[in-house]
Amino acid sequence: MRALWGFIALCVLAPVPCLADDYVGSAVCRTCHADLYTPFYRNPHFKSIASGKEAPENTGCESCHGPGKAHVEAGGGADTIPRAFSRLAPTQVLDTCLRCHSQTLSRANIRRSEHTQEEVVCTNCHSIHKSTTPKFLLAKKQSELCYTCHANVRAQFSMPFKHRVNEGFMQCTDCHNPHGSNAPTWRMADRPHNTEQAQANEEPCLKCHIDKRGPFVFEHPSVRIDGCETCHNPHGSVNAKLLKRPVIFTMCLECHTGIGKFGPLGGIPQPSSTHNLADPRYQNCTTCHVRIHGSNSDIYFFR
Amino acid sequence: MRTILRNCVWLTAAVAAWAQPPVAPTNEPTESNRGDNVSNYNVLQSFELGYRWNTNGGDDGMYRSTVNYTNGIRLLSSSLNVQSREGHGGLFDQLQLNTQGLGNDPYQSAILRIEKNRLYRYDFTWRSDAYYNPGLTDSFGEHFMDTVRHLQDQDLTLFPQSNIRFFLGYSRDTQSGPALSTIQLFDGRGDEFPLFQNVNRQQNEYRLGGEVRVLGFRLNVLHGWEDFKDDTQRSLTVPEPGNNPNDLSQLNSFQGIEPYHGTSPYWRVGLFREGKKYWAMNGRFSYVAGARGFILNEASSGVGTFGANTFRQVLTFGNADRPTATGNLTFSLFPTSNITFTNQTSVYNIRMLGNSYFEQYTNGSATLPVYNFNYLGILTIANSSDVQIRLRRWFTVHGGFTYDDRRIHSFEATQQNSPPGTPVGVTQTNLLHSGTLGFRIKPVKPLTITLDGDLGRTNHPIFPISENNYTALRARVEYKLKSFRATAFARSDYNTNSASLDEYASKSRQYGVDATWTGTDWFSIDAGYSRMHLNTLGGINYFVATLGEVTTDQSYYVSNIHTGTLMARFTVRKRADVSVGYSHVQDVGDGRATAQGSGLYTAQPAFQAAQTFPLRFLSPQARISFRITQKIRWNAGYQYYGYREDFLTTQNYRAHTGYSSVSWSF
Repeated sequence: MRALWGFIALCVLAPVPCLADDYVGSAVCRTCHADLYTPFYRNPHFKSIASGKEAPENTGCESCHGPGKAHVEAGGGADTIPRAFSRLAPTQVLDTCLRCHSQTLSRANIRRSEHTQEEVVCTNCHSIHKSTTPKFLLAKKQSELCYTCHANVRAQFSMPFKHRVNEGFMQCTDCHNPHGSNAPTWRMADRPHNTEQAQANEEPCLKCHIDKRGPFVFEHPSVRIDGCETCHNPHGSVNAKLLKRPVIFTMCLECHTGIGKFGPLGGIPQPSSTHNLADPRYQNCTTCHVRIHGSNSDIYFFR
Repeated sequence: MRTILRNCVWLTAAVAAWAQPPVAPTNEPTESNRGDNVSNYNVLQSFELGYRWNTNGGDDGMYRSTVNYTNGIRLLSSSLNVQSREGHGGLFDQLQLNTQGLGNDPYQSAILRIEKNRLYRYDFTWRSDAYYNPGLTDSFGEHFMDTVRHLQDQDLTLFPQSNIRFFLGYSRDTQSGPALSTIQLFDGRGDEFPLFQNVNRQQNEYRLGGEVRVLGFRLNVLHGWEDFKDDTQRSLTVPEPGNNPNDLSQLNSFQGIEPYHGTSPYWRVGLFREGKKYWAMNGRFSYVAGARGFILNEASSGVGTFGANTFRQVLTFGNADRPTATGNLTFSLFPTSNITFTNQTSVYNIRMLGNSYFEQYTNGSATLPVYNFNYLGILTIANSSDVQIRLRRWFTVHGGFTYDDRRIHSFEATQQNSPPGTPVGVTQTNLLHSGTLGFRIKPVKPLTITLDGDLGRTNHPIFPISENNYTALRARVEYKLKSFRATAFARSDYNTNSASLDEYASKSRQYGVDATWTGTDWFSIDAGYSRMHLNTLGGINYFVATLGEVTTDQSYYVSNIHTGTLMARFTVRKRADVSVGYSHVQDVGDGRATAQGSGLYTAQPAFQAAQTFPLRFLSPQARISFRITQKIRWNAGYQYYGYREDFLTTQNYRAHTGYSSVSWSF
């Protein structure tokens, strides 16, 4: 019985849907907001007007801002705009945009993404009326947008060795999906967030570094099991080739202790007794083990 | 209106300078104009044409590796926007073309979009990267590359706004150019010889797919074929004595070809739905059947370790397969507008297997073929649950738990097995339990404070450096009021294990502050500082001729990196825009004055010298952009790069770069 009363109350108290009469059309908005409307034909959202077939609630200004009748009758004022974005809560902004923009696979995880959870929503990065980039309507150049919050990443891209993001060759979205991604499965601990997987949920590095992808007959297990970040810092590094260490042999020796927990020899093999580590020849591991990412011909990656 | 527009342009230009990008192309745009109307279209164009110059002293190779701008005329940037004014154009409604660095800049790109409303959308991206790396700190500087990489992506979407859509796509990635590599010959105690490499790699990917909306669900299916081939050849141009001065080895001739071709056909299925406002679900499933075939034919002649003339031919052929199946399924519930609950399950199953038939002829006698069959399989099943509750308008709490189960199986044959070459199977299971907890507090509107942390425990980590017992703590404070924004952040990542031969301890801490003020239309400033500290310690095990096996040493590494950026921008009499910036990166290491440390953790000088690697990389820049008319600007800029390593001097350089250009929009 309680449930029934609850249902009736919900029906009675539910917000009344907007009526078609409440919509005035974008041409009316243009009267006062000519500065916004005049260049609006360059905006991707102009499609909704050009189509001429969309319902009023999906057309032009009112598709985002809500029905304008009250606003017109009041002679303006932000209080009478049903959805004035500067006054909306982050979740309301998200709900409004997702009415249309939830239809893309790349945004399928947006509601659970780290950005949404931190209340970084659409209008934090996109500027519908004052965009600097016609494509995607970004409020700023993409890397600048990301650096606004990710100052530590900006510091990493200032290093002498880095992926060319500041130079404009790459963008953050080559590796990351700001709208949320599926959880990565290539590491086993503190994992990167919002990382856009390559084919078969692999690390995004393999989208471009095609020669490292394999498959190889002899895989270097560290690459396949824990991923490229075992040896490399992907954003930037003070070390050549984005390595985690300035010289290679210390990096290799930290895993190749002979004591590990995996492998046919009961551990990760240590260098043999022929390797006199006091000799500089043996401190350059990749001089001999040239195919360190994987080889088809040699289990020790010699060729 | 003009004031608003101008302010927007100023603000945009000011913030676009934050990250200390290269001094050119110019950030300051010409004033926005309305373009020209041609027939039913509006056409808006701009370009920046100029000359870029540089002079440098010191190690040119390192300059090219880290900066790489050279002299010459460049189309530094350009933009073309053709837009139908009523949204009913002929063949297209919108055409956008943006380019950067065309004319031999090391980083060039072109992005094109052509769209006809409701009918099609075509996106094309082309990029070129001239990659140069002398690799002096690796492999005696004998691993050098001077290659050019070209990447392109083309995507055509048919009926982009309808409930049934079709996708066609093509991507291409090529890398070519000269390189240097090495090879170890003629036996296990042999020598290493540098070789010339002609890198020639190519990947082509073709995609075909569609999307349909059924019962509120969107089903997205994509089938693709990725073809890869590597036809890199290696050869010796002059006889080489090798890197070891103490033996008699010499390589007189060498030829090596190893064509490596393969294909990876794949299927990807996506299913997603927004269930009004109360729930959402999505799934992504993929299967990739990766396969590669290869052959290696290598012939070398020279002198062996003990002075005997040696001829060797190695023939290897076989194939490698890597079938991979993945699945991700996510459910989200939003019972109220203040609560979000998400559960995600991921499955990842990859199997790598293949065979390599190896045959070696040395001085005419054939060794027995060796079949080193290798198999590596990884099956990961992960489940994570997250909940976020907005308790008050100013206070939000979130937490989560992740469980991962990873099973790794390998099947390897090594010469150490008994009998040698007998494959041995090994399986290890690796479990992770981790939890997260965090808060976001907004005590007053301009101020946001976020705190969160991860705590994780894994058993049987595969590698000594794998995270085992780890904690990650993050804090961030942001104050944003009108045109002023300041943030401070701190982050620590600790892998708290004992340092032994099978465990590793690392401490990473990052702190930073940055602030931006764009309060007036004639001045703006942005400044940031961050410090990144890394300290790692792990057990190592190695041999030294005079000592035998050393098992008690530890690998120690300390990095203390300070980075600072400053960018200020002035407008002088609404005519000239002046921007000055400075970027400074300095790794002060552990504070030692010479490469040799105090003997901490190891007695070997080479190991001590590898414990820290202090260096400095700085780059001041200045740019002026002068408005000649509303549509034309003259720009000039200068940027200095200084790179200095404290313990090595061979790679140090200083470079002066600059440009002068004209920007024109019409």
